[in-house]
Amino acid sequence: MKKIATLLVAASLVLLPAMLAWSQDNSNRAGSFEVRSASLTLVDGVQELDARLQLILSAEALKALNSGVILTVEFTLEVIRVKRFLPDDGEAELSLTYELEFLPISQRYIVRSLNSGDRDSFATLYSALNNLGRVESLPVIDDAVLKADSDYRIRLRASLSTRQYSAPFRFLFFWRDEWDLKSEWHEWPLER
Amino acid sequence: MASRTIKRLFYGVLGALGVALALFALYLLGETTDRTADLESQYINILFVNIVGVLALLALTVGNLWRLLGEFRNRQPGARLKARMVGMFVGLAVVPLVIVFYFSVKFINSGIDNWFSVEVEKGLDDAIALSRAAMETRKRNDLAMTVKIADRLTDVVPRRLIFELSMMRRESGASEITIFGRNSRIIATSSDRAASSLPSELKDEVLLQVRQNRLFVSFDELESEIRTAVPFASRTNREIIGVVQAHFPISERISAMADSVSSSFNDYKTALYYRDSLKRLFSLTLTVVLLLSLLGSIYGALVLSRRLVAPIEDLVAGTRAVARGNFDTRLSAPSRDELGFLVNSFNDMTQRLSTASRQATLSQSLVEAERANLEVILARLSTGVVSLESDLTIRTANPAASAILNVDLENKVGQSLPDISVGEPLLEQFVDVARVHLQDGETEWREQIVLRGEVGRRVLTCACTALPGDEETESGFVVVFDDITALLQAQRDAAWGEVARRLAHEIKNPLTPIQLSAERLRRRYLHTLEAGEAEVLDRATHTIVQQVEAMKEMVNAFSDYARAPDMDIDRFSLEALAHEVVDLYRAQESDVSIVLKIDANLPELEADAGRVRQILHNLIRNAIEALENETNGVIEVKIGSTEVLEVEAIQIVVADNGPGFQTGSVSQVFDPYVTTKPKGTGLGLAIVKKLVEEHAGTIDAENRDEGGAIIRIKLPVNEAAREAMTAMLPGRVEQRRERA
Repeated sequence: MKKIATLLVAASLVLLPAMLAWSQDNSNRAGSFEVRSASLTLVDGVQELDARLQLILSAEALKALNSGVILTVEFTLEVIRVKRFLPDDGEAELSLTYELEFLPISQRYIVRSLNSGDRDSFATLYSALNNLGRVESLPVIDDAVLKADSDYRIRLRASLSTRQYSAPFRFLFFWRDEWDLKSEWHEWPLER
Repeated sequence: MASRTIKRLFYGVLGALGVALALFALYLLGETTDRTADLESQYINILFVNIVGVLALLALTVGNLWRLLGEFRNRQPGARLKARMVGMFVGLAVVPLVIVFYFSVKFINSGIDNWFSVEVEKGLDDAIALSRAAMETRKRNDLAMTVKIADRLTDVVPRRLIFELSMMRRESGASEITIFGRNSRIIATSSDRAASSLPSELKDEVLLQVRQNRLFVSFDELESEIRTAVPFASRTNREIIGVVQAHFPISERISAMADSVSSSFNDYKTALYYRDSLKRLFSLTLTVVLLLSLLGSIYGALVLSRRLVAPIEDLVAGTRAVARGNFDTRLSAPSRDELGFLVNSFNDMTQRLSTASRQATLSQSLVEAERANLEVILARLSTGVVSLESDLTIRTANPAASAILNVDLENKVGQSLPDISVGEPLLEQFVDVARVHLQDGETEWREQIVLRGEVGRRVLTCACTALPGDEETESGFVVVFDDITALLQAQRDAAWGEVARRLAHEIKNPLTPIQLSAERLRRRYLHTLEAGEAEVLDRATHTIVQQVEAMKEMVNAFSDYARAPDMDIDRFSLEALAHEVVDLYRAQESDVSIVLKIDANLPELEADAGRVRQILHNLIRNAIEALENETNGVIEVKIGSTEVLEVEAIQIVVADNGPGFQTGSVSQVFDPYVTTKPKGTGLGLAIVKKLVEEHAGTIDAENRDEGGAIIRIKLPVNEAAREAMTAMLPGRVEQRRERA
């Protein structure tokens, strides 16, 4: 029994530093992503998205951005066909991915769309995020694809993606709330 | 045995595979942590596998430790040794592992920290600052140039605006200059790009700043240019009517250097940002490695100790089994090492013990069989056999000994023979004789002993011999004795039979001529002689005839005694026969009272009715003759069922209240010509005895305590009982044979 107790104490001593190191840097400011408004407008047979999102980075994400880490913000839009007695069916899913980068010499923030390749630079993070959170007339889906006699609902969400990082870091970021930036689903019925 | 080997091989292969997989997973974990492998994306899966491995090992280890604790508490053989070995192994493994872990973490942390240095960081910061400063200078110059262009353009008439703008663009080295009017409308533009390309639009941030009457300048690293924007005033009233936006390209060399500095700075800062995470990552990987190694070591120690101790446990279990007497215990040899040698030696030992045990058991069973045979023989022997310790304690005794000495010696094994003999006259005399010899130091002696008891005397031929003993135990004696009373009696009976036969032959023949001669003398001379002489003749011839008749009777009696006709066995009612005989004597004898008592439910007797009738006649006549001079003579005749050594029999008891037998002659009352009566021939009871023995019955006589004599006869009830009694009393068979 004494030996077992000694063994447990030794294991605790071994694990304690790792646990302490793990629990460090947990006092960061939390960020938030929020979809303020969103709507689809039929323009020339194409449903176009207009949306306003408020994107506030957490202190940790901000620290990473200022340290040269490229952040990836992802907007996910889902078109769901509503069924009466059956589970709803996902008709289409659109993912808009943007990269946010800080350039140290010019001290400007770059917003780069991975979907279109468009990029723009901003003097402040605020203007970069503000620009990022403003979606205007973005073609989403051809209306002809949607069934005329069906009801659809649309939902939109913004999230800070960590997929681009290496797996070990993803594993570490997974356990940290500062990297878990994700808005609630903003959902509305498609008016046709 | 084979299944055990296969099982062990299976678990061995499984364990080796597990260890190989664990090592491979650890290797992959290390590789992915190092970010050099393509398996980086599988890091989480590999980590998960390793953590599952840790948990599995933890469960196995805890389970095994718990089992070991249970064994320790239950004081199972080998548990203490196993615990000691596990402790030793774990101690040997844990200390280096913890030390390695500690220093690994330390080295990794310091190694990662060494990637970063204040000097490098300061250099990069300075490089950034320098780049920024250089760009600031350039930006100021370009901004100043833009302001100058805007001022000069203010005075240009609209129709020459484009021309002047182009001139100024070329002079200033700008790649594009555009004049925006109100509402960001393009008034004029000049660009070194193709004419088809549109001029850059005015960005919100530019507009916002210019509307506040502020100058705008920024370095656009993406486009490798400096963008400036200044207000554009009206030529007439100097009112701000638009914006002049200019793009000044950065040379490729400077742009490349700026990109390089920027990239290096970002990489360094990114690495700096990842530093803590990297430390955690390596610490986590190391912790997993440590736990895997630690738990693997403990589990390995448990398995190894169990495997090492298993042969010892088997040996302990085998030894206990041998101690319990199970000599067939065989252990499987674990290996060819010293333990294997020990196990093989144990197996050899148990095999020899088993062989010895089997031989001992065989010998014991042979001895037991011999002993049982001997006991059967002794039990069936009519010869008494008593084995004694040197202090005359009974070691064994057979039933015949008990029967001869009239004491239950079989149930008194272990008791002292002299102590038992108290109150047992036959045994007492026997012990006295034996003691005399033993006190004289005679261990080998032979003697004929005459024992006198209440029912008569018994003649024993007795032989004693010393039993073989070893040096430690004192030797005893075995006394063999035979009751030869019956044999002597038979010899006597045979002698008497021979005498009777010769008497009948030698005496009876002349009697008839004597009688005839006497009767002739009487007939011829009685009437010729004078009265006096005639009377003498008459009396003499009468006496001769009378005595000849008497002699004839006597000779006939002897003849009857010597010659036994064939038995006529038949089933008949003894009750009726007894009534018939007794009634005959009741009618003849008025002075004697004859009482007949017969048990109810008396079975029929299977015997020679004539002989039984003669037995009853002789006994009653004998009793009547004994009561001749007695008044109030009473004869009691009792007939009932009985058993002789568990054989069904009928007992006939004839008792009288006469003078009884003479003291000392009780044992000879059945001898021929032994009588105490004046009229008796002395053959009555001898014939009775002979008839009884012909029926395999027993007869004994004694004096009654209240006076008188009593004779008891026990006759087997049927042929089967007769056979049984004949078998039990073999002496009778000999007698019967002799007499036959």
